[in-house]
Amino acid sequence: MISRRQFLAAVGAGAGAAALGTRVLMAQQPGARQGEHTQAAMAMDSSNLFAMDQAAARAVVLPPKPNARPSMTPDERDALEHRIRCQCGCTLDVFTCRTTDFSCQVSPAMHRDVMALVAGGYGAQEIIDAFVKVYGERVLMAPTREGFNLVGYVAPFLAMGAGAVLIGALIRRWGARAAAVAPSAPAGVQATPDELARLDDAVRRDE
Amino acid sequence: MILLGELSLWVALLMAAWGATVSFAGGALRRRDLVASGERAIYVTFGAVVLASAGLWTALLTNDFSLEYVASHTSANMPKVYTFTAFWGGQQGSMLFWALILSMYSAVAVYANRRRSRELMPWATGTMATVLLFFLLTTCIKANPYARLDFLPLDGKGMNPQLQNPGMAFHPPNLYLGYVATTIPFAFAIAALVTRRLDAEWLGVVRRWSLVSWFFLTVGIVMGMWWAYVELGWGGYWAWDPVENASFLPWLTGTAFLHSIMVQEKRGMLRKWNVVLVVMTFLLAIFGTFITRSGVIESVHSFAQSPVGSWFATFFFIATGATLYLVATRLRDLKATAELESMVSREAAFLYNNLVLVGIAFSVLWGTLFPIISEWVRGSKITVGPPFFNTVNVPLGLLLLGLTGVGPLIAWRKASVANLRRQFTMPVLVGVVTGMLLVALGMRDFYAVVAYILAAFVAGTIVQEFAKGIGARRAMHGESIPRAFVRLIGRNRRRYGGYIVHVGVVLLFAAFAGLAFKTEHDVSLQAGQEYTVTDPYGHHWRFVSQGISRYESLNRDVLAVSLDTWRDGEYKGLIKSEKRQYKDSQGNPTFEPSTEVGIRTTPKLDTYVVLAGVRGDVAEIRVTFNPLVVWVWIGGYIMAIGGLIVMWPQAERRRAQAGYVSVLEPQHEGAAS
Repeated sequence: MISRRQFLAAVGAGAGAAALGTRVLMAQQPGARQGEHTQAAMAMDSSNLFAMDQAAARAVVLPPKPNARPSMTPDERDALEHRIRCQCGCTLDVFTCRTTDFSCQVSPAMHRDVMALVAGGYGAQEIIDAFVKVYGERVLMAPTREGFNLVGYVAPFLAMGAGAVLIGALIRRWGARAAAVAPSAPAGVQATPDELARLDDAVRRDE
Repeated sequence: MILLGELSLWVALLMAAWGATVSFAGGALRRRDLVASGERAIYVTFGAVVLASAGLWTALLTNDFSLEYVASHTSANMPKVYTFTAFWGGQQGSMLFWALILSMYSAVAVYANRRRSRELMPWATGTMATVLLFFLLTTCIKANPYARLDFLPLDGKGMNPQLQNPGMAFHPPNLYLGYVATTIPFAFAIAALVTRRLDAEWLGVVRRWSLVSWFFLTVGIVMGMWWAYVELGWGGYWAWDPVENASFLPWLTGTAFLHSIMVQEKRGMLRKWNVVLVVMTFLLAIFGTFITRSGVIESVHSFAQSPVGSWFATFFFIATGATLYLVATRLRDLKATAELESMVSREAAFLYNNLVLVGIAFSVLWGTLFPIISEWVRGSKITVGPPFFNTVNVPLGLLLLGLTGVGPLIAWRKASVANLRRQFTMPVLVGVVTGMLLVALGMRDFYAVVAYILAAFVAGTIVQEFAKGIGARRAMHGESIPRAFVRLIGRNRRRYGGYIVHVGVVLLFAAFAGLAFKTEHDVSLQAGQEYTVTDPYGHHWRFVSQGISRYESLNRDVLAVSLDTWRDGEYKGLIKSEKRQYKDSQGNPTFEPSTEVGIRTTPKLDTYVVLAGVRGDVAEIRVTFNPLVVWVWIGGYIMAIGGLIVMWPQAERRRAQAGYVSVLEPQHEGAAS
């Protein structure tokens, strides 16, 4: 049996050895010699809320339709931009990003493409399709409701439905079991309606 | 102090390992000396983590830039309050902060149960020490805040400007306090499963700690919403970002548990389900931490590129496997002592409530993970943003709101038709009249109308319950209405505190529905130019630009635009929005510029102005009218107040587990008829 003093000394020595050992081991890792804890490491540090990719914009260009006129009002265009995701890494839609963050160069570029397509006579769905063709489906703020994406939309409701069916079945089973063990005739209560009402009220207050 | 702190971190690690080992051994061998040693190890771990934390705070406040963490998150010219909060502003510090809170909670739990729950304590202590061991090990090996740089920088990089907000002092600590508190119920659930003592004893401890977790998560989430709203400038307070979702998930299952636990207390039912909920809440807290710190999911938040993700994944799978094994081998011990008799009973209503809460949790988790699932299945990346979450969750949320009103009105065991008629007539009437009024006034948004009908219905149920209680007290004790109100709450804090929480829920939903009428306007203004627009209530607003100003302030350069505002011809004051470029002490710019929003708040409407950019002398401005936003904060704080009332210790009373209410009900009905 070791004494408390010996135990504490052992813990202290163990902690010191562990700290030293880990530092030595880490220093011998290949990355460490090349400056793991350097300015580059600081620059990549996690306190950046997100790393903005200013070069993420791609040209989404289509030739104007013959005799093209603007296909939508500015309000409708803003609503459309709410459906398109800025690619700078902010996770916002194009309208919100370009009207929030003036350091972003991606959402203004995407906005310019939207305006050109609107001026070229393209409708909302055509513009969305053009953006998807260039950036892929990730340019949409929400997946389209087709193909495998439908699983995404339907699964929560299916799960809820399954849960509801399960609960219904359980309640039915429990109810049948409870009825089977219930006494055949309820015991009589010798009390006036007024007394019962007061008792009921008292019980309710305790719920 | 810094060296002492670094050493203390390792002492804490060893003590947690010791505590876990001897506690489990003490429980298995029934050795009291080992159990006592394990409990003392928890206290020592707490002390050591306090020293480790003090060391890091010392390093931060003395600008010791030889530490990579200090250099990465602070600079010499940063206000001290943010230097202090930098402790939890980055990966490594936040891991230590988690360990600090967990060791504190563990010490409190061990101390509070030094004479109680003795059969459970070895296993509960062992589980707490194991979780602590994981966090300390991850901190020491993968995210050590004491890691040193190869060089000594002149100044640090500073803190991200968006974190330099008062919210930084309150939001993360509250969230962590909530997250970490899920560990204690989990530890007691594991202890109850191991010892097969799944009676009311563990339930008491678990309920108290679940309330602590729920309270802090609620406050933390609402503060996070406020912070996002005032700081990020995108005009909303909830974006369904994975990090937001990660905090919401344990809140949902924790809320489900706080409802279903009442069924177990009253009727001895749902024992398996309650254990599952406690475990699920803890695992979701860990899983949420994993998905937001592993980089597997794109998030606007900070920890997406950190190296601790694989550790969290491993811990999550081990914890899930061990818990599943324990639950599977204890199913027989978790058999209910009573059976549910009717689909129209309070027990059933709580089950429906649980179904919806867990259903929402599933849909949030599903939506958060769907980009990964889709990439696995189809090989292409997709985005699952707010439109998806709103499509799926708005109907579920409304269902939940409706159930918030239904549950308290239905009797236990089996509700009679007379009971339903008596309880529901007034609240349903209030809801229907509200709906008719809103439609008559021109409201056409389907979900908004449904939300206000349900909110009015739930408000009606709460008012009815309070009116009945106050009436009864006045009849019995002759008290004034205010006194009867206060005493009513004081005498049954759990029930009436719960109703106050429901008041907060009603206000929140009413505020959420207000977002359906939000309008945004993209404006370009030179000095002296004006912009006129109509808000969602039909009031006419005039904004006149006072021009762009540039000045230096503290550790930043500021670019600001000020707007004089009039509503229906009445002057409403000046609204100013800023762009800030933060600098280090050498005058070098740090980070991207950040936004300071100008907000004018009234109970009906927030006028929200953002300086989006400047072209020459033209300010690009976004003006947003956000109806009813202030009620989100008020509703959130009312929920927190209700939670405090429920948590208040005197509210604890011994409760009989019999379902006497509805035993009386049919006879009462019969006697009365």
